[in-house]
Amino acid sequence: MISAIVADIGRVLLGKEHQVKLALACLLSRGHLLIEDLPGMGKTTLAHALAQVLGLSYKRVQFTSDMLPADIVGVSIFERDSGEFRFHEGPVFSQLLLADEINRSSPKTQSALLEAMEERQVSVDGETRRLPEPFFVIATQNPLYQSGTFALPESQLDRFLMRISLGYPTREAERALFQGVDPRAQLQQLKPRVDTATLQKLQALVGQVKASDSLLDYLERLVLHTRQSPECAIGLSPRGALALLHAARAWALIHGRGHLLPEDIQAVLPSVAGHRLQSDGGDGSQLVERLMHQVDVIAA
Amino acid sequence: MESSERLPRESLLWIFAAQFAALLPQFAMLPLWIVGAWGFAVYWRLEVFRGRRDLPGRTVKLLAVVVAVGGLALSYRQWFALEPMVALLAVSFTLKNLELVSLRDAFLSLLLSYFVAATLFVFEQTIPYAVYGVICVLVITAALAAQTGSAGARPRRALGLSLRLLAQAVPLMVVLFIAMPRLGPLWAVPQNSDAASTGISDSMTPGDFSELSQSDEPALRMSFEGPVPPPEQRYWRGLVYSDFDGRRWSQGFGVDHREGGRVHWKESERPLPEVGPRYRYRVIQEATNSQWLFAMVRPDSPTEGVGETADGRLLKRKPVYSRFAYEVRSWPRETLGEPMPLGDFERRRNLQLPADGNPRTRAWAGEFRDSGLDAEEISARILQFYNRSFVYTLKPPALGEDSVDEFLFGSRQGFCEHFAGSYVFAMRAAGVPARVVAGYQGGEWVEQEQYLLVRQYDAHAWAEIWTPARGWQRVDPTAAVSPERIRDGLQSAAEEEFMGDSLLPLHRISVLNRLRLQWDMINYRWYRAVVSFDREQQESTLQRLLGEISPLRLAIFLLLPVAAVLLGVLAWIWWNGRGTRAPLSSRLYRKFCRRLARAGLERHPGEAPRDFACRVGEQRPELAPMAERITAAFEKAAYAGDPAAEKQLRRLLRRWSVVRGRQ
Repeated sequence: MISAIVADIGRVLLGKEHQVKLALACLLSRGHLLIEDLPGMGKTTLAHALAQVLGLSYKRVQFTSDMLPADIVGVSIFERDSGEFRFHEGPVFSQLLLADEINRSSPKTQSALLEAMEERQVSVDGETRRLPEPFFVIATQNPLYQSGTFALPESQLDRFLMRISLGYPTREAERALFQGVDPRAQLQQLKPRVDTATLQKLQALVGQVKASDSLLDYLERLVLHTRQSPECAIGLSPRGALALLHAARAWALIHGRGHLLPEDIQAVLPSVAGHRLQSDGGDGSQLVERLMHQVDVIAA
Repeated sequence: MESSERLPRESLLWIFAAQFAALLPQFAMLPLWIVGAWGFAVYWRLEVFRGRRDLPGRTVKLLAVVVAVGGLALSYRQWFALEPMVALLAVSFTLKNLELVSLRDAFLSLLLSYFVAATLFVFEQTIPYAVYGVICVLVITAALAAQTGSAGARPRRALGLSLRLLAQAVPLMVVLFIAMPRLGPLWAVPQNSDAASTGISDSMTPGDFSELSQSDEPALRMSFEGPVPPPEQRYWRGLVYSDFDGRRWSQGFGVDHREGGRVHWKESERPLPEVGPRYRYRVIQEATNSQWLFAMVRPDSPTEGVGETADGRLLKRKPVYSRFAYEVRSWPRETLGEPMPLGDFERRRNLQLPADGNPRTRAWAGEFRDSGLDAEEISARILQFYNRSFVYTLKPPALGEDSVDEFLFGSRQGFCEHFAGSYVFAMRAAGVPARVVAGYQGGEWVEQEQYLLVRQYDAHAWAEIWTPARGWQRVDPTAAVSPERIRDGLQSAAEEEFMGDSLLPLHRISVLNRLRLQWDMINYRWYRAVVSFDREQQESTLQRLLGEISPLRLAIFLLLPVAAVLLGVLAWIWWNGRGTRAPLSSRLYRKFCRRLARAGLERHPGEAPRDFACRVGEQRPELAPMAERITAAFEKAAYAGDPAAEKQLRRLLRRWSVVRGRQ
């Protein structure tokens, strides 16, 4: 079933199987996804395809610098007919929210969304409203060197389970893209493969993936190394380590395994740890690659 | 100046604490202005830290150096002595405080502190000072540890680290203490000899010894090899007074070796008696700042720098500035044969009397001479005279111009110096060569540690007369008056007056006396074991430990403990560092990896088993199936928790080696 999902999305987003799987793993482990890439790389397509295939209600918000929190969360409006205030739900009340170019909006608006992501509920006019289940946010952001951006602070980056970037397609994929039909038309043809209940069952299954002592040892060594290595300014937090384990479990499930392998951790490590680690200059994900090669998989 | 180089507050405070610890015991010895200058420099540096003042400029620093050097020159006239050198060290780190900026300055200042702390032992080697020295080193090392960063500057942490470092250094310290060659001083730095200290001086006036009798400071400690002399034989001779000017007895011309007297420094110059010595003993003498040593009659010492005078005393080449230990062999007079005849000069010297004064004594003694009595009979008469009507007291009345007359025919109350002085005066007036001898008499035998403790109140003066038949012989007029003084010591001879001037009669409390003796025993042991551990003792200790001293054995002795300690540390690190043992599956997989590594296929540390198996398959296709099976078994065993897979893995590995063997 999962491979069918991956294949479906793969038909729309050519040659990006790894990223699709990562996005799926992120969703299955109830995390949120941050995609950092240049415009036009297929970020929206990925989000849309995911929503279609998984049968989720989908909304998209284009973040701008003049946006207010109410534009996302919703607002109470006085209705003359009934003579009372009625709450108009914002775009956040959806199962899959694509927050496009999140770093274009002001920190105030960003934090409104991020709070909703963490709590899975919003409070408006003193009333707490639960967000629908499952709730999955795919945020995209432009590379930070572009003008007119507000960088997300580390504490908020930490809310995202993974940060991935799609990157340019391979030559074959691009050729196929040139020859093929319009991806948008393809997108419309995607049928939902699962319903919400099945999706939630799958999410529950992730927690049952077995992690042996040997594997947890490896995880510990890895995390300890990030905390001790002079290359890392900040080590991986316990939340980060837990996120790593969750994402790896989802990855193992996607590959149809009931237990974790070191490869699972290695596969998700750059996406999960890349934005949480800081190095003195240089990219976090390059640092992760280096760390991965330094830590021995097998216990000594 | 870069901000990263600036010293943080904690390290500044640590440095000042270390300097204070090093300076504290020297406060009494240093001129007051150095202490003041140090305090001012610290204040200035702290003000700089708080941003209220700038570091002094070049001119001010130069001025400070000039003023400090000028101050040193004014305070000490003599440059090449120890105290000015210590003061120079203290001044140097005082001035360094004014430019304490970088970490390097801090290290320099702390190294100087180590030196200053070490100079303490030049002056004092007692146990309290040794303990203080250790504390000092502890604080300075902690200050060094505190320079590593702000977390290291927390007092507990810095002191803890310092303690651990020092504890680790102890075995090495002990080995070096025992085995390090004892070098003589490369150059002699004279100490200031101004400092007053209690003890017998080079002249005697009435009242000197009764002053000494108020002090219970230890003077000598002696341990004997073989027999211990009985109390009535315990006369420790230090000085001989031959000159009398009517009031003062002094050593006089011709005895002091500086005046051309005969002192035999070399052992070969001294003809030793043919019979073996009666007593062999080792004396530990407290600092006296003078040259004379104390021994029984006819002594000889093999210790370097000790000479023997013509009148049978021991002298040290340099004054005894700090505790000094020497070996002595003694031949009491009785064991020797015919005496040498007394030379003309010596006879004249030992008959010398002032031109006038004390007429009654002269007349009284003249009668003995005129009546044709011989020397021993005259001596017996005079002693009898003492015995009849004299009182031994610690508080004799003051005497006037003709002190001998007044004492013999007036007050008749006196202390040992009165008896010895008047006796020698009378003997000389009667024409018998005589002299006053000063030193210590008696001592307290400490049974537990087997040594004789002689205190300042055991100071004593007695006489020696010369007879043609027996040469110089000892006569103690005090014994004629108060035999208890000789037999049992001063305390029982003058019980009422003993230590009468002290505020509290502590000597009467036996518990305190016992405690004091205990403390002295500990001190004694300290001196014998640590302070007086010289080249000879070192050799004998090494001989006891090693048998025969050879360079090889010495090297082994030096290196063995160091190696043992290092190995111990290594073992400890290994034991702690190995953590829990890796699970069986991991060990088996590692075996597999090692075999592949020998075949030229090394797994990278970060390479997962599956990736490795793929790479093996790519590079050595013939190994691919087995690598695949082993990897699968390992994954099952290690990650899927399949216990059967472990056995399978083991089996596969065993078979695989056979396969390799066939290739």
